[in-house]
Amino acid sequence: MSAASSLASAAGPTLALGLPTVGTPTSTAEASALVRDAAAAGTRLRLVGRGRWLDAGHPVRADGVLALAALDGVVDHVPGDLTLTARAGTPLAEIARVAAAERQFLALDPFGAADGTLGATVATASAGPLAHAFGTPRSNVLGVEFVTGTGEVVRAGGRVVKNVAGFDLVRLATGAWGTLGVLTEVSVRLRALPEVDVTVAVALPAAAAAAAGAGAHGAVAALDAWLARLRRAPLAAWALELVNGPLAEALRVADRPVLLARLAGNAPAVAAQRATLAALGEVTDLPADLWRRLAACEPPVAAVARLSARPTRLATLCAELFSPAARAFGLLAHASPSRGVVRFVLPGAQGFGMPSAAPGRRPGAAGDAAAVDPPPTCIVERLPAALWASVAAPWRTPRAVDALARGARRAFDPAGILNAGILGDESAPHPAAPRPQRDTSP
Amino acid sequence: MRGVAPDAGPDVAPHAMVDAGVDATTPQTGRAALDPAALAAVAEQLVAIVGGRHVLRRPSELRVYDADGLPGLHRQPGLAVLPGTREELVAVVRALAAADVPFVPRGAGTGLSGGALADGIVVVGLNRLTRILHVDAENRLAVVEPGVVNVTLTRAVAPHGLHYAPDPSSQTACTIGGNVAENAGGPHCLKYGVTLDHVAAVTVLLPDGSIVALGNADGEDSGYDLLGAFVGSEGCFGIALDVTVRLAPDPPAVRTLLADFPRLDDAARAVSAIIAAGIVPAALEMMDAAAIQAVEASIYAAGYPTDAAAILLCEVDGLAAGLDADVAEVVRHCREAGAREVAVAADAAQRARLWQGRKKAFGAMGRIAPHLVLQDAVVPRTRLPEVLARIAAVGARHGVRIGNVFHAGDGNLHPNISYDAHDADESARVHAAMQEVMQACIDAGGTITGEHGVGLDKRDYMDRLFDAPTLRAMCRLRDVFDPARRANPGKVVPVRACREWHGTPAARDAAREAARDVGRASAAAGGPGAPASATT
Repeated sequence: MSAASSLASAAGPTLALGLPTVGTPTSTAEASALVRDAAAAGTRLRLVGRGRWLDAGHPVRADGVLALAALDGVVDHVPGDLTLTARAGTPLAEIARVAAAERQFLALDPFGAADGTLGATVATASAGPLAHAFGTPRSNVLGVEFVTGTGEVVRAGGRVVKNVAGFDLVRLATGAWGTLGVLTEVSVRLRALPEVDVTVAVALPAAAAAAAGAGAHGAVAALDAWLARLRRAPLAAWALELVNGPLAEALRVADRPVLLARLAGNAPAVAAQRATLAALGEVTDLPADLWRRLAACEPPVAAVARLSARPTRLATLCAELFSPAARAFGLLAHASPSRGVVRFVLPGAQGFGMPSAAPGRRPGAAGDAAAVDPPPTCIVERLPAALWASVAAPWRTPRAVDALARGARRAFDPAGILNAGILGDESAPHPAAPRPQRDTSP
Repeated sequence: MRGVAPDAGPDVAPHAMVDAGVDATTPQTGRAALDPAALAAVAEQLVAIVGGRHVLRRPSELRVYDADGLPGLHRQPGLAVLPGTREELVAVVRALAAADVPFVPRGAGTGLSGGALADGIVVVGLNRLTRILHVDAENRLAVVEPGVVNVTLTRAVAPHGLHYAPDPSSQTACTIGGNVAENAGGPHCLKYGVTLDHVAAVTVLLPDGSIVALGNADGEDSGYDLLGAFVGSEGCFGIALDVTVRLAPDPPAVRTLLADFPRLDDAARAVSAIIAAGIVPAALEMMDAAAIQAVEASIYAAGYPTDAAAILLCEVDGLAAGLDADVAEVVRHCREAGAREVAVAADAAQRARLWQGRKKAFGAMGRIAPHLVLQDAVVPRTRLPEVLARIAAVGARHGVRIGNVFHAGDGNLHPNISYDAHDADESARVHAAMQEVMQACIDAGGTITGEHGVGLDKRDYMDRLFDAPTLRAMCRLRDVFDPARRANPGKVVPVRACREWHGTPAARDAAREAARDVGRASAAAGGPGAPASATT
């Protein structure tokens, strides 16, 4: 895309944030100079890519926007090596287009629109259904270039698929939400597109579907048992995602919870897996665009959070989020049976229906071995800014590594000018929201 | 090594050289050795924690700790302490912190980069911490102490139909803690990923004695990926008290193929074609004529064709359905690239025999000549034919025969030379050739280590690969975990790159010291070593 159109799209979020644009770099050197100047002036920067996810993360304290959408374009693609290097502002859709010309793809499919950037995906370590087979950005990023909070340009990792040279700055920058540096370039591994690629829905047996709907303990056990059979089934699916009734309806798949499966590979392998799934429930074919529609299912204004635990506890997590009460709020939920993650979307700006605290433990009598299970991990993905203090606060779990995290922040952004506050650090005072705040991802 | 590179200056990067009682051009570790009084004082405290039997001070006892799997580099530790429980380990590290004593964590000592060497300082040996604490078969997780041997874990979970996927060739000896420190690989990492992809959480004892939990085995991780930073930090960021690893289900079906090629570059092109076609073999290994002939002349003879220029050993696994189609594809790509013959192992016994030849290749090569230098570098797969040709040309120019046994599917090369380290002229040529080989890999867009780590051996290549700001950033990351730089000092990042980042006066002094001494030093004499058993 041209720099001019990038600029236009970068202007939108800048205006929406009510912040002046500090700069729109078109090269790493320009980004470095802008950050160095900002550090010298004490200007706190909000890193904005294409602004498709402006309310993700905690509210940011910023004086200006560093617009990164013009820092775009695929720099290098070596089809024979299945590697690609692109500037951070490159939309995932553009990478998909370049890779598809060689029958390849990047196995990162974060939820949200496909015109989000590679940089934002890596900075937030966002993953989608393909993480079931291909892992998160941590497993797909080979190298990064980033500008630290002092304007230094760091080039970590490389373009080869195996590399243990030096301390792992690639993993450190991945998922740091821009707070350790502004990503300017990213190298990723690609995969080959499969010979056959089908998407199906698998009906849950009545008892398990009832569990997902009713939340009764006996029925949770039915879903639990079905998920256990699924885990043991000989499958090599590219994606497996359980969706709740309202989401299945929104996707025009069914009117009750189903399992969505993407089976890919050669024809015999796909046929065999289809038969395996048929033994678990009725299998219906779905169009391939189902995954794109699932990614885009959330409304522009919503509260989104994820709960996760060991996979064997997924039925319990699902029971609460797939319940009739949840349906009354129009809550959309989907879950990865292999990763033990359930993600839910509450439409609207109020966060109605948001659990007031992390949902609890596995059902069972006190003294039960299950009672020692730790609470599920809760991650709030997007939340209208005004709700962070009230809704998300009870979910915070203090972590012993905070001292290390603060140390890393000081080491790479000593002035604290990069996306300050987006990770919810409480070391700095919280601002008294003087203007309508919307949060962005880089 | 006596007579090697007589003009070698501070920038010379030494190699994995076997030396039998010869001097070596070797790098210095970062901190000065402890003086005897300080050593005696700390030894007394350590004895109080672990008991006298587990604090080794006599040179004869310490001899086993003066080297790791990298032949040729020897350093005498000041002492070695071997805690037997988690509590003892914590108390030991806290005592060392209180006394401001640097230390080197050590697993089985099979590392191939000199990373476990301790020059006059304290070795903290973790081999007694060998408990498998918990196996959660249903969630495919296990919690282990750092000294658990890699293959012991796989054997322990085998009844559940599970295994621990990373499989370095040293897996019968190397420990999970060491694997985490090095982010170890192995042949099957092509499909299943390296150690990083199989670690869910680690409880870390920081060098200052505090304990932090990194990662999360009970759901997603959030915040900075400090676990990702810890894995592969080569003992510089702390010690793993326990590691929660992911276990992999055993594949329902496996096929192993052997393809032989009259031309080396044809085999390399076959590798690229297979990967580009979208087949992800469980493993894809290559051996050249030198390696084939060495294996076939040894007790590990695997039935490889001795007149081939190269063989590919390819394993595909997964669901039974569709596997034969993958095998047919691999066969087709090999034939199209110029394979003379492609054979599929008929049964498990044949498969095991084919693999034994590969896994014992370095052992077999050790028979040819008294010494073996083994390198580890990665290049983009499509550059393999060109890089292999350049390696052959380098060998020809220096009059040495460079062999290749490597993880071709990852582009992870292990160039090696069998030679006689007592022959000064040959040693010099070997040394010069290996430097050029490494440069060739860097020039091809590759990296200086794919799985062995930097340690001491590769440290002085780091600034050929990374610029000064990147090396400084690595130092800053290290200082987040270990501001006093007491854990495995002087390894991984060249000391001069960190000069302006020293956090403590002690570290500054040590850095000055080390900066003065970078370059030549004489190494203690070592035995002939068994280069081969060590790994890759």
